[in-house]
Amino acid sequence: MIEFSHVTKRFKNLDAVRDVTFTIKDREIFGLLGPNGAGKTTLILTMATVFRAQEGEITVNGSSVSSEAEKVKEQIGISFQDPKYDRILTAREILDWHGKVTGVEKRERARRIEWVLAKFGLGDESRKRTWMLSGGTKKKIENAKVFVQRPAVAVFDEPTAYLDVPSRLMVWEMIEELRQEGSTIMLATNMMDEAERMSDRVGIMNRGQMVSVGTPLELKSSLRGQDIIEVRVTGQPERYAEEIGQIEEVRKVEREEGALRIYLSDGRTLLPHIINKISAKGGTIESVNLKEPTLEDVFLHYTGAKLG
Amino acid sequence: MTLKSQLSLLQVIVERDLRVLIKSPWIVVHRTIFFLIQLFVFATLVSQLIKVPGLDYFRFFSIGAVISTITSIAFIIGSDLFEEEELGLLDYLLSLPFGHSLFVLGRALGGALRGLVYVSPMLLLVALLNGYFSVSGILGALLVLFVLATGVSGLSITLAMLIRNENRFDIVIALAELGMVRVSATIYPLQFMPLAVQPIATYSPATSASDLVRTIILGSASSGLEPVTLLLFVAVFFGLGSAFLFKKIEGGRFE
Repeated sequence: MIEFSHVTKRFKNLDAVRDVTFTIKDREIFGLLGPNGAGKTTLILTMATVFRAQEGEITVNGSSVSSEAEKVKEQIGISFQDPKYDRILTAREILDWHGKVTGVEKRERARRIEWVLAKFGLGDESRKRTWMLSGGTKKKIENAKVFVQRPAVAVFDEPTAYLDVPSRLMVWEMIEELRQEGSTIMLATNMMDEAERMSDRVGIMNRGQMVSVGTPLELKSSLRGQDIIEVRVTGQPERYAEEIGQIEEVRKVEREEGALRIYLSDGRTLLPHIINKISAKGGTIESVNLKEPTLEDVFLHYTGAKLG
Repeated sequence: MTLKSQLSLLQVIVERDLRVLIKSPWIVVHRTIFFLIQLFVFATLVSQLIKVPGLDYFRFFSIGAVISTITSIAFIIGSDLFEEEELGLLDYLLSLPFGHSLFVLGRALGGALRGLVYVSPMLLLVALLNGYFSVSGILGALLVLFVLATGVSGLSITLAMLIRNENRFDIVIALAELGMVRVSATIYPLQFMPLAVQPIATYSPATSASDLVRTIILGSASSGLEPVTLLLFVAVFFGLGSAFLFKKIEGGRFE
């Protein structure tokens, strides 16, 4: 379990992370969302003991980041957003050194390196100096470091940036495998589909603060009144508008030519009720479309920022 | 963490510097060619011009060329730190499971060892040219070079931590290197230097290292003070460099 308790990290006059409190459970995949400059990387690096928080405390599986830094670092592996390794070295050399420094025994290290290189299809490229490789391949090598290490706490910062679709699916599968083995995963991402697909819970950061934490479903449900049901009916739809507008959860009903646009909370539950009301009044429904808030809407709501 | 595992990690940190060195053979080739030209063109030519009784300038210079090369290489560690910070590599290195003090020690030793790998063939060539074949003597000379390189690495780290701007650092480091080699008995004898700089040059670590290696390989006279000066230099700058780097790391790099 990772516990962040009132963590503040300040750079001169800038509060990069401000009074952040939340918990990541064991074997959980925790998605960390936030616009650029929200403080995600600072929070990760503070947890990894690279930065020292001015206030608050972080514990990783019971070890304090401030007083037991080495114990904490033994448990953490980070795949950085921008690949961080000596680009004069080959992928094999980078992975071997990373495995060695993180304590992976020689034979096991060799086995894992072969396995991860095969998974990523990096046969010939694994012997080239990495500065010669494409952005996607460099990113795969960055991720591969953590897959070779297999730490108790694995941090992935934008793990699928620059990757093609098959590689993205592969990385997601490998992260899930890592979790199945017992790792706790922290996944910082700007990709909503990735966060929604992978995360058990999501935390949204904005301007250094954690503004919301919950499962993707909980966060979406938190945006009450933002579901939209569009019902296309034969005849005159305004006949049904007033009655539908009296339902407690309905916020607003707009009339369009041949259709009603209903703004409400919990559209999924109320949809049958609305259909029944229209049918009871003799209306014939041509089509129904339910639009629920997406994680992107949630993100927009809490941060006021669109993701790049 | 046990002492054994600490030493094992220290070895892995140093190994990274050596792996990078092995992958940059053109730098070694460049330095070697520069060294050979200095020795076989410059020193040969100048030694024919200088006719001072009791001084064989080629032999004198050959040792100095090794000292100036290792000094120059040991200064590179400061630039490496700038580059590592710029590329974000420092974040990665500091997140790895070793203490900050071990990291500092590893980097300074790595820088010194890298310098030693560069100049070992040069030292062997110089020993050969001077007809010196004692293995223990050569190992002793290598130890002197290693101690000098450790101190210079410490000085370079200290300057890199004090000067935040890389361009300014490059200028300062060039001046420091120039001062250390030129205001010393590395490439010319002390007694021919201007009187005003002689006292400074006497206590230069480069002078001490040059004199010690000359004593070993050429059998020159020694004042006996050289090891003291050299060790003092290492103690001060290795300590300062480590302390500054440690402080910067512990305080958060951008503060």
